[in-house]
Amino acid sequence: MAYAYLFKYIIIGDTGVGKSCLLLQFTDKRFQPVHDLTIGVEFGARMITIDGKQIKLQIWDTAGQESFRSITRSYYRGAAGALLVYDITRRDTFNHLTTWLEDARQHSNSNMVIMLIGNKSDLESRREVKKEEGEAFAREHGLIFMETSAKTASNVEEAFINTAKEIYEKIQEGVFDINNEANGIKIGPNHPTTASTLTAGIQTPLTRSGIDKNEVTTLLDLDEDHGVVIFKFAAI
Amino acid sequence: MFGRSRSWVGGQGKTKNIHSLDHLKYMYHVLTKNTTVTDHNRNLLVETIRSITEILIWGDQNDSSVFDFFLEKNMFAFFLNILRQKSGRYVCVQLLQTLNILFENISHETSLYYLLSNNHVNSIIVHKFDFSDEEIMAYYISFLKTLSLKLNNHTVHFFYNEHTNDFALYTEAIKFFNHPESMVRIAVRTITLNVYKVDNQHMLHYIRDKTAVPYFSNLVWFIGSHVIELDKCVQTDEEHKNRGKLSDLVAEHLDHLHYLNDILIINCEFLNDVLTDHLLNRLFLPLYVYSLVSPEMSDDRRINPQVSLYLLSQVFLIIHYQPMVHTLADVILNGDLSVFTPHTDTHSTHKNTASAGGVRRFTKPPESLERSLELSRHRGRKRTQKRPNYKNLGEEEDDERAGGGGGSGGGGGGEEGWDDDSRGGEREGGREREKGKGTEGVGGSSKGSRASGETAEEIEMVVMEKCKVSELTEQNITDEEKTAAATRTHIQRSRPFLDMVYSALDCTDDDYHALFVLCLLYAVSHSKGINRDLLERLQLPVPDQERTSYSLVLVERLIRIMNQAAQPDGKVRLATLELSCLLLKQSVLSGNDCIIKDVHLACLEGAREESLHLLRRFYKGEEIFLDMFEDEYRSMTSKPLNVEYLMMDASILLPPTGTPLTGIDFVKRLPCGDVEKTRRAIRVFFMLRSLSLQLQGEPETQLPLTRPEDLIKTDDVLDLNNSDLIACMVVSKDGGQAQRFLAVDVYQMSLVEPETKRLGWGVVKFAGLLQDMQVSGVEDDSRALNIVIHKPSSNPHAKPLPILQANFIFADHIRCIIAKQRLAKGRIQARRMKMQRIAALLDLPVQPSASEVLGFSQTANASPSALPFRFYEQSRRAPNDPTANRSVFASVDKVPGFAVAHCVSQHSPSPLSSPSPPSSGSGSTERCDSVTASTVSAQSPTDNGTFLEHTPPSSSGGEGEGGGGDVTSVSSTSSAHFAAPTLAPSLTPASQPTISLLTDSTADTLSVESLTLLPPSDMPHLHPIASLISATLPLQRLDAPIAEEEEGNDEEDRREEEEEEEGSPLDETETDATVKEETMTTELVTPTDEAAEEPLEVNTDQTSAIEGDEGTAAETEDTERHTETPESPELD
Repeated sequence: MAYAYLFKYIIIGDTGVGKSCLLLQFTDKRFQPVHDLTIGVEFGARMITIDGKQIKLQIWDTAGQESFRSITRSYYRGAAGALLVYDITRRDTFNHLTTWLEDARQHSNSNMVIMLIGNKSDLESRREVKKEEGEAFAREHGLIFMETSAKTASNVEEAFINTAKEIYEKIQEGVFDINNEANGIKIGPNHPTTASTLTAGIQTPLTRSGIDKNEVTTLLDLDEDHGVVIFKFAAI
Repeated sequence: MFGRSRSWVGGQGKTKNIHSLDHLKYMYHVLTKNTTVTDHNRNLLVETIRSITEILIWGDQNDSSVFDFFLEKNMFAFFLNILRQKSGRYVCVQLLQTLNILFENISHETSLYYLLSNNHVNSIIVHKFDFSDEEIMAYYISFLKTLSLKLNNHTVHFFYNEHTNDFALYTEAIKFFNHPESMVRIAVRTITLNVYKVDNQHMLHYIRDKTAVPYFSNLVWFIGSHVIELDKCVQTDEEHKNRGKLSDLVAEHLDHLHYLNDILIINCEFLNDVLTDHLLNRLFLPLYVYSLVSPEMSDDRRINPQVSLYLLSQVFLIIHYQPMVHTLADVILNGDLSVFTPHTDTHSTHKNTASAGGVRRFTKPPESLERSLELSRHRGRKRTQKRPNYKNLGEEEDDERAGGGGGSGGGGGGEEGWDDDSRGGEREGGREREKGKGTEGVGGSSKGSRASGETAEEIEMVVMEKCKVSELTEQNITDEEKTAAATRTHIQRSRPFLDMVYSALDCTDDDYHALFVLCLLYAVSHSKGINRDLLERLQLPVPDQERTSYSLVLVERLIRIMNQAAQPDGKVRLATLELSCLLLKQSVLSGNDCIIKDVHLACLEGAREESLHLLRRFYKGEEIFLDMFEDEYRSMTSKPLNVEYLMMDASILLPPTGTPLTGIDFVKRLPCGDVEKTRRAIRVFFMLRSLSLQLQGEPETQLPLTRPEDLIKTDDVLDLNNSDLIACMVVSKDGGQAQRFLAVDVYQMSLVEPETKRLGWGVVKFAGLLQDMQVSGVEDDSRALNIVIHKPSSNPHAKPLPILQANFIFADHIRCIIAKQRLAKGRIQARRMKMQRIAALLDLPVQPSASEVLGFSQTANASPSALPFRFYEQSRRAPNDPTANRSVFASVDKVPGFAVAHCVSQHSPSPLSSPSPPSSGSGSTERCDSVTASTVSAQSPTDNGTFLEHTPPSSSGGEGEGGGGDVTSVSSTSSAHFAAPTLAPSLTPASQPTISLLTDSTADTLSVESLTLLPPSDMPHLHPIASLISATLPLQRLDAPIAEEEEGNDEEDRREEEEEEEGSPLDETETDATVKEETMTTELVTPTDEAAEEPLEVNTDQTSAIEGDEGTAAETEDTERHTETPESPELD
């Protein structure tokens, strides 16, 4: 099937938070969430439409491979988006977010869009992590946040699509180097090469040096005392 | 059975409980009716398969009879049947998804066994899907990955068939090891790792015997191809345009190394042997290491030496597998041994012979992995015979070795035999023979001659015959090393790689190579896999190790780098310098001792001195200098170099550049423009200073300029009696209001509220550095000030983060103006003082006379009051009695002026002669005294250094004190501790003359001693001034006592006591004492006078009281300034 872009996602988070269920829920509507049955999958693909463009999402679950450093490292590096999932009924899964995020930030390319997901929002009665806490964490770390339920399919669609929108915006802004497949973005087979959307020149190296999107706009600072153009660098 | 219906299936229209055995039976029925896939039933079949999945999962969790039925009816066969009909993508994807879901969600072992039991899964694995379809590929590899995650010692039997030597899951997966899609490659790696992890000997033997050689040789080739590409990327780079691609290739290489390391740490020994062998002999040695020498002879594939050094550093940083890294390090560091003296020759021969063959060659594997696997499958036994495997080889060698001393020949033969199938094998023989001629062969036969050449290789092949050969090598090396150590001429030995490494440390033109070499040495010395003996033999720096000697070559080269870094046009990047410092410390620090030789220390001191001179050029009076100075210190201490991160950065692979437009981090490039040159000079100075201090076991006492522990902190309780406090309402940005008293200290402003328990004391609610403060008026309110204090940040270009942002509303506009002035002055003051401390650090003169040079002229003349008088006292005392003043200085130095300032502060509030100061006030004075007293003992000639530091402030006048002195009471004590460890004489070389000059200029008692001991370099030039001043001095001083009498009686008394205490033991002369007294008085006057001059600074009533003295005081102050003049020049 022809698509304009292919975005590769990874799903990360503690075991049992419902990553593979989210994935299946999003990629295959035919598996209706039912009682007594939890089904997940480790890989899925689906086409969505953003801004009139067909975009294919490929989602890879990294579960079970955490023990190999090389694997996690490469997974992160090859993804354009990451869903960081915790379980709102298990406080510990929320507490581990920092570690996951550190890992992600360390290995991924700096433009990777990370969405924080509090899963199992259907289990309100057993909730241990307040929605506000998730929001606060997301705000603090510059993530998008959403509470979902793989069971009721609530917000699942939105979670994946909003992430895709964010990536798409970054492409439009020229933050992502789309000609570089290592970033987890692929231009579709029939799609004219969109190199024009890339802002040429200095931005390419910059986007690599660990600056996130918000900073890109203020990349150049005029040091008035000295009339020197100075770059801002994120701490590496 | 029609119970809870919630779904309908495939257009059948019947509602059923989809999760039931009956429904599965119905599905089975559908399958039997539709054995052929057509366009019509495609959708139905897909939905059926999907539903079956759901039922099976449900069954696994709820009803195992579902599985029984599934097996009984052999429903997997239907799946296969459908697959084999080339039924198209849609069905394929659905089937693969079904299988994924099945194996992913099955939780019971038994269910899993059911599914795996009849080999259908293996049939699906080997099915030739249309792998050109990206989605099928992705689902397929995910399916294999899911299966691999289910592997364990039991389930492995379903996949690995011992009898047919089949392991489809593994062999099919590794065929995609170099798939263009990164996610596929990652999945393949996951699968292989999951397989290796299973501890099943038969399976692992199969892997090793049948697949290891093809897979690893292809993998190694694949990695090598990436390296070649990476190298090409570096070579063809213009203007850093390739950086994006380069960083991907570097990341890819890192991924490879991590993968290899993951395999190695599974620690499956015989797999590791094969892998190590391939890595060493087909990649690391032939491509990386051999590229280190004579790259211009490019018969073979070569990469740039800098690329090779960079990659090798990565190898050592990531892989710690002992047999491999040790061998690799051994080759690099020891090159060849005397037995193989013409090692370089060997290599040149190697290159000259067009064949360029060899066991250790970076060559493309003879056949593609897929083909090898096919062959091994079909040829089976036959193939094994043709290509002796590792097991055979090992045995062979063991036998031969056991047989006698000819073992080395055996090793060679073994390798040769093993390599038979590689195309280079033939030529290899030729090469070996040639080599044999070059050396003297151990034996006459071709085999013998080969052996001699081969022995060299054999050491590198330790992996294969670990124990025996390593023993052999050990001995050889030890012997060699003994001689080498004895003669200290190990350079003479032929170690081409090591020579290259050392010679690449030369930074005359640039530090392109040097940085990599340093990283490599760092990585090698920190590698856990390298035998310490190896490093020690070469006296390489091993961290945290006791030692008695170090590598002179290395240390000398390191020091040379430092020296070059300190040159104005030095091409050494900061990262290189930092790494050099690190390695030097590692080399010469043994436990707590430093074993550096004097001559090296002297050179290092020379470099440090150079850096000081370099920095002096940039020293400016500008505000920004101070900020840069402190920022650099912060960023240096807060972000020490991380070599691993450094080596992950592809940008250093490109030639060093100076422009920040590349986005390269400052420490990894050369400076651009004056600001960066200044920053660099500051950093170089810091690094070399810190290194020098550390090597000499001296603590750092002068940096950072502000120590957190010396500052007033929130919740500190201060004695504020007699301090200038201004009441105000603080309205913060977010609307909060608080009634506070504003107090201005030397370095800080603080907001206090009264302490409830002690009258006159206050609790600090906020304290911020004056230097980072901005004060501005508020437009529509003349009583209000807007004050912002920014947090000092380690990144000078980051957006400043305000720690205070508030409007201060005062009682009336007068107080507002007073506050504003006090703050503004305080800010200038604080900065100036710090600048002067920097100047002292740089041994720069800080005198008014030198003002033009330094940009301080303003300070000196325009605002005589700029400096807190505390310094006056000190500087005054100094001249009187060299011995005594030393001790005094020692105490004062601690924090410039704190202790003294406090005392002074007392009388500014009570200018009228009040015989007894308030009780609290006296308390604080005592503190001052104690400070002085406590430090009396700490006299040493070096105190001058500290003295110096304080002298400067005195010159610029004491006015800032008005605010500054107020709150100091608490800090005085802490400040005392701060100064205690004084600088080593060596670090303040220029300060020594101070004494002599001081005495010379100000006091009548000229200490001949000091002069003789430390003649200032430019004495003649200075003397005239000094004598001139000393002539005028006494006259002015005479007036002073009168003024003083009124104000600081008690103070003075105390002081005198103090002074005497210090002085008497030292046997002062009469003259000294008198002069001292005189000076004392003058000092004490000055402060008041200062205040008077600046009416806004103090309360108006005070001003009037002081009025009378003003003239005298001013004069005195003038004198003061002059007296100091001589001191400064001598500093330089």
